[in-house]
Amino acid sequence: MRPASHRQSLEDDIRPDMIQRLLIANRGEIAIRIIRACRELGVETVAVYSDDDARAPHVAAADRAVHIGPATPAESYLSIPNLIAAARSAGADALHPGYGFLSESPALAQACERARLVFVGPPSGVIARMGSKIEARRLMQSAGVPVVPGETPDDQSDQGLRRAVDRVGLPVLVKASAGGGGKGMRSIRDAGDIDDAVRAARREATAAFGDGTLYVERLVDRPRHIEVQIFGDHHGRIVHLFERECSAQRRHQKVIEESPSPALTPVVRERITDAAVRAAAAVEYRNAGTVEFLLARADASGNADRFYFLEMNTRLQVEHPVTEGITGLDLVSAQLLVAAGAALPWAQEAVTSRGHAIEARVYAEDPARGFLPQAGRILLYREPRMPGVRVDSGVAEHGEVSVHYDPLLAKVIASAETREQARIRLVTALRQFPILGVRTNIAFLIGVLEHPRFRAGEIDTAFLDAEGAAIAAQIPTEAPPFVLAAIAAADEQEREQGAEPDAFGSVAHSSWDPWVRLNGWRT
Amino acid sequence: MPEDRIERSAAGVFSVMVDNRREIIYLAGPPSDRWAAWNGNVYRVSADTGTRSGQHVSPLGPAGHSLVAPMPATVIAVLVAPGARVAKGESLILLEAMKMELPIRALGDATVKAIHCRAGDLVQADQELVELE
Repeated sequence: MRPASHRQSLEDDIRPDMIQRLLIANRGEIAIRIIRACRELGVETVAVYSDDDARAPHVAAADRAVHIGPATPAESYLSIPNLIAAARSAGADALHPGYGFLSESPALAQACERARLVFVGPPSGVIARMGSKIEARRLMQSAGVPVVPGETPDDQSDQGLRRAVDRVGLPVLVKASAGGGGKGMRSIRDAGDIDDAVRAARREATAAFGDGTLYVERLVDRPRHIEVQIFGDHHGRIVHLFERECSAQRRHQKVIEESPSPALTPVVRERITDAAVRAAAAVEYRNAGTVEFLLARADASGNADRFYFLEMNTRLQVEHPVTEGITGLDLVSAQLLVAAGAALPWAQEAVTSRGHAIEARVYAEDPARGFLPQAGRILLYREPRMPGVRVDSGVAEHGEVSVHYDPLLAKVIASAETREQARIRLVTALRQFPILGVRTNIAFLIGVLEHPRFRAGEIDTAFLDAEGAAIAAQIPTEAPPFVLAAIAAADEQEREQGAEPDAFGSVAHSSWDPWVRLNGWRT
Repeated sequence: MPEDRIERSAAGVFSVMVDNRREIIYLAGPPSDRWAAWNGNVYRVSADTGTRSGQHVSPLGPAGHSLVAPMPATVIAVLVAPGARVAKGESLILLEAMKMELPIRALGDATVKAIHCRAGDLVQADQELVELE
C-alpha cells in the first residue's frame, strides 16, 4: 500500500531502483561530482568525452566511457543525437545533464523522454516554460512573486532591440534568452552603446547556446544576487534548502558564493524562501532547481527587503556545495532518487541550517592580463586537504586545460561555525593549493576574501566590477628572496647531477640529495 | 633545521625556514621557465630573460607595434583594413576562446600596416595578428 500522501500518477510506476546505469552528459568537475554520488548509490556510470577529453579525469572516474565527437562542443557535448546514441550504445537507462551545456535545453529532456531515458531534472515542459523569460515572468507574477520590468522583443533585429531598450528604460541588461552563466550578457547605460552591446550579446548567445534570442531587462542598480535552492518530487512535495548569496561576480560570472547570506534578516529570509517555494509550486517543479532573486539596496526610507524574481535555473547549480555544507544533505543523490520516482527524502521541517559555508571558484585565467582564460598543460597540481574543506575538481597534475571549454578548474568550499571562521578557512585552503603551468585566479580569490568589504559582508553585484582591478593589481609579481633561493637550489642540483627535467618539466629527481646549502639569499 | 637550508621534501616541493616559520615552495618547469607557487601566489621565472619575477613581459610597444593573440583562439571578426587610422583602445580584431569574446585593441593611435589573419582562422598564442605603424 502506498502512503496516502503519494498521488496516483504515471510516475508512480517509476521505482527508485529503476536507475541502474546513468549517462553523464557533461565533463569536468560536475561529471566527477555526479559519479561520486552514483558510487554511493550503487548506480553504474557512463562518461562521455570529446577528442580533447579522451584522457580527462571524468573519463577515468566513470565505469565506462563513450566517445561523442570532436573537441568543438557543438559537435560533442552539445549534440543531442550523439548523446542519445551514446546512452543507447552504453545501455544507460538515465541521463544527468550536469550544468551548462544542454542542462537547460528542453530538447534534450524531450529526446530523453522519447528514448525512454530517465532525465535527471524537471520535465521538458517545465524547462521550456522557465527558459522562456516571458512565460516565467507571467507565471511568477500570477504566483504573487515580484518581477523586474523587461521583455523579449518579437522583433529581434538591431532596430527591434533598440525599441525594446526604449520601452524598458535605461539602464538595461541585454542577455541570452536561452541561458545563464553570464554568457551573452551586456549592461547598457548610454543609448550610444546599444548597438555594440546587442551585437556582442547576440554573438555570445549564439556561440554558447546555439540561440541568439535576446531579452532586455531593467537594470536594478547594485543589487545583491540571492538565490534559493528548491527541490520538488513526483508526489507534489516542494521544499527549499535556504538561500545562497552570489553577489561576488565579475562581469556576471559568479566568483564566490556563500550560505547563509549576510544580508538577510530572518523575516526577509522567510519571505524570500516562501516566494521561491510558491514559484516552484506554480510550475509543479520537480527535481533540483534554483530561484534567483535580486535584492535591492535599502531605499531612502531604509526598507531593505525588496526583492525581484530574476530567473529560475532548472538544473543543479555550480555552487550547490555551499547548500550541502550548511544542510548536510547530498543534492545529487537526492536528484537521482527523485528522478527515479522516489519521494523527497526530507520534509521542510527536517531541513536545517548550521554554520556557514563559502565556495571559491578556481578558474584558469590570468588576473594580471584582464582575466584572460588560460589553456595549457598543468605541470603541478596539489589540492588542499584539511578539516572543513571540500574540493570538487575536474583536472589533474599533467592534464591539459583545453581552449574549448569553460576555464573552471576546481571549487574550494570551506564550512565552519561562523562566516568569519569559514572565510579564514577558505583563505588558508587557497594558500595551500599550488597550481603551476597554467595561470589561475587563486591569488585574486584570496584578495577578494581579504577585502574589507567582503569581510564585512558589504557586497553587491557591482563590488567586483568596481574593486576587481584594484584587487588584481595588488597581487605580488616579484618572487620573495627565499622563493628565488629555492629555484636557485633546484637549478644548482640539476646542473650538478646533470638531471634533466622529466617529460612533464617537473624538477623532481629521485637521486637528489634532499639537502642543499644556499648562502646569502636573505635580503 | 638550519635557517639557511632549503629542503626538498617531495617531488617539486621545497621547504625553508623564514622567521621561525616553515615556508613551502612548489616548483615546476625547466630551468629556462620555472614556475613557483608560495602561499597562494604564483611566480614565473625565466632564466633566458633574466627577469626573476612573475611579471609577464609584454612584447608590445606603444607606438609602432604589432598585436599578437594572447592565447589560442578563433578569429570571429576583423574590424579594420590595412591603411585605416585607428585610435588608442579601438577594437581591431575580435577573438573567441573558451566561450568568451576577446577584443584585441590598439595600444596607441596608429595606422594599420598589415592584417595577418582572417575571420574563421584558428590562431596560436603569440601569433601576430595586426601590424601597426
